[in-house]
Amino acid sequence: MFRMTPVITGTVLMALCASAQTRSKDGEWPSYAADLAGTRYRPLDQINASNFSKLEVAWRFKTDSIGNRPEYKLEGTPLMVNGVVYTTAGSRRAAIALDAVTGELLWVHGEHEGERGAAAPRQLSGRGLAYWTDGKQERILYVTPGYRLICLDAKTGQPVPSFGKNGVVDLKLDDDQTILPDLTTGEIGLQSAPVVAKDTIIIGAAFREGMTPKSMRNNKGYVRGFDVKTGKRLWIFHTIPMKNEPGYNTWLNGSAEYTGNTGVWTQITVDEQLGLVYLPVESPTGDYYGGHRPGNNLYGESLVCVDLKTGQMKWYYQLVHHPLWDMDISSAPILADINVNGRAIKAVAQPSKQGFLYVFDRVSGKPVWPIEERAVEQGSVPGEWYSPTQPFPTKPPAYSRNGVLTDDLIDFTPAMRDAALTIVAKYHIGPVFTPPVESKIDGPLATLTLGTASGGTNWPGASYDPERHIVYAYACNACLTPIGLARPPKALSDMDFVAGTAGQEVRNRTGPGEGAGADSPMPSRAPAAGRGGRGGAAPAAAGGFGGLSVQGLPLIKPPYGTISAINLDKGEIVWQIAHGDTPDAIRNNPALKGRDIPRTGQTGYNVGTLITKSLVIAGEGQRTTTPEHPPGALLRAYDKATGKDAGAVFMPAPVSGSPMTYMVNGKQYIIVAVSGGNYSGEYIAFTLPAAEEHGQSSQ
Amino acid sequence: MRTGIAAALLIGLLGAQDATRSVWDGVYSEEQAGRGRGLYNQHCASCHADTLTGGEMSPPLAGGEFLSNWNGLTLGELFERIRTTMPQNKAGKLSREANADITAYILSVNKFPAGKTELPHSAEFLKEIRIESEKK
Repeated sequence: MFRMTPVITGTVLMALCASAQTRSKDGEWPSYAADLAGTRYRPLDQINASNFSKLEVAWRFKTDSIGNRPEYKLEGTPLMVNGVVYTTAGSRRAAIALDAVTGELLWVHGEHEGERGAAAPRQLSGRGLAYWTDGKQERILYVTPGYRLICLDAKTGQPVPSFGKNGVVDLKLDDDQTILPDLTTGEIGLQSAPVVAKDTIIIGAAFREGMTPKSMRNNKGYVRGFDVKTGKRLWIFHTIPMKNEPGYNTWLNGSAEYTGNTGVWTQITVDEQLGLVYLPVESPTGDYYGGHRPGNNLYGESLVCVDLKTGQMKWYYQLVHHPLWDMDISSAPILADINVNGRAIKAVAQPSKQGFLYVFDRVSGKPVWPIEERAVEQGSVPGEWYSPTQPFPTKPPAYSRNGVLTDDLIDFTPAMRDAALTIVAKYHIGPVFTPPVESKIDGPLATLTLGTASGGTNWPGASYDPERHIVYAYACNACLTPIGLARPPKALSDMDFVAGTAGQEVRNRTGPGEGAGADSPMPSRAPAAGRGGRGGAAPAAAGGFGGLSVQGLPLIKPPYGTISAINLDKGEIVWQIAHGDTPDAIRNNPALKGRDIPRTGQTGYNVGTLITKSLVIAGEGQRTTTPEHPPGALLRAYDKATGKDAGAVFMPAPVSGSPMTYMVNGKQYIIVAVSGGNYSGEYIAFTLPAAEEHGQSSQ
Repeated sequence: MRTGIAAALLIGLLGAQDATRSVWDGVYSEEQAGRGRGLYNQHCASCHADTLTGGEMSPPLAGGEFLSNWNGLTLGELFERIRTTMPQNKAGKLSREANADITAYILSVNKFPAGKTELPHSAEFLKEIRIESEKK
């Protein structure tokens, strides 16, 4: 069933030895978010505002051949340790090792998982891997699409025989539940990078997109700790409590027994000194309908702190009661040692889709600034259960839009605004936590939301500057999600409601990557001719441009995407800027000709930030074509003190993964994953031209 | 031989420069877009939505973000992306004709004008048609 494909050459080991002499801890990037605190920060300064625009491509690594088809969704953040770059890549999700200076492929390890891989809920290359060393051995750990934990020798890419069974732990086993319907097709997987802290590997779980679940019943997304030396399971945390555990009674009518999902699909953060793990938990089964799971549903959409050694819960805070908006806690919690009114606090800050930055004392779980339970609108979807209140942080203020109000609508011209008001009249709108509606042909068609499914800060997460105590967070500020509910046909789902729009067929909504990985049946060559589709006379969809735009322009006004700097000592936003060039459709729009429209930023969920000694670095998530450059996107730098532009460098495609940086042999590099549109996945490493790097002090 | 290659290259270059047609020039027919609509609903809508607005993590195929992302590229590139990778769980399943019809439907929803002829189903021919978010 499985085939392993290591490739290694004699030169590899030489490269590994040679670079060992110039190690500097600040210059390495040993885990997904740079460190276990989730900072994405490195105090390097060779690349700075004076030279950022002079960056050149040091090397590129095209991932097309890592798998049997190209991938257009390369999301990895590579690691760099001891002169070697490690990452996942390709439709195979292979682990690869590259020379950090030249990009030369040192080894590749892929797993052929057959039907199990083809049935996996989260396919394609994933977000990365984990590195571990005890000073002698070095290991690489990653999770395959088929939910198997692989342990490799970092030097050779060969499986470590003493770990699990020949280097593999089957994560569908020993999970305090029987994964249904069977090990091959049972829905559970993971696309994020494992975390290793003090010899414990921590693994979460992910499922299919939850807009249209097939059933109210699903497998549960428990979190487990494993021994990095043996692969033995050390502990498990039940994200949906079992009958004798606290929190079980927040699932009324026994719904904890059958409800699933509620996994931790994003990055996990660890305080090794305190021995505490911070788990950002996602939504329970049914992103938008919770009628089959009445109650608050702990630990859905909660930040949970567990003991690193035992997995025992220390504290939790539910950010959304009875989740109905797909406000998964979608990114790594950030550890921050801050100082509030003269009081030193070991804090954890949680960015979110809903634009709130939740800040807690990470030892006690108490909010640093009060979080108030406020009454929220109660909906009227038949069978739904509503929480009367939701938690609202009083500080810092929301850093991105999390509701739709008429003030948010496009207002370039009065006519555009009127057109937007006409469109919005068919929908239900309101502030954060405005509940979904049953879609009706005469209206409302849906609740129009911002800061839900793809809004605010998604999986790339935010960054943190431990010197200045500032969180830097990219957020989509205009990712509009209509949430309407419709009764599905029985063949589609046994739920009373799933996402759907009145007047349209209720369909299973799939997510990216499903059925697209290397284990899925190979693309067959198409039939020579013939169409085989049902015809239709009227070509245009209602309203054109998808119905939620005005003359092809976004319904919501700019800024469409932002980066915010948030001071954690004060709980205040220090600066906020639009991130990303004004999209072509706006810059070139005849209706806007002659208007001076400031840079609008761009919508998108896949932008991550990198913080260095002086810069905030983030790529653009959309392609533009401007007088200054051909079709492509910019990797941008900002002065981290002010948010002012500090340079930009051209990329052939938008970013699809978050940038990282490292220093090897006195030279600083930045790697970023790009892909999308007509451009398949590629890691690009940038560095300064030889002349530029001389004379700069290196960190 | 060498001259032959050079001549071919030159023709190729001229061809690219000669790509004066754009999506504003009536490059598909209404009937074709109508067929494409049926195919789209059957094969594409589950990820990209009935309204082409995209899903939580699937890109939109209509409106400003779509047009910005493809502006300056050609229909050949869009067609090849669709032909080789879509539908994502059955990539390559649809015929070239079907993919051309779907491309025509995408153009129609983005309000590019229909014309009298159908969109060809060869990437080489489609590379001669530029995607321009605004009429020049």
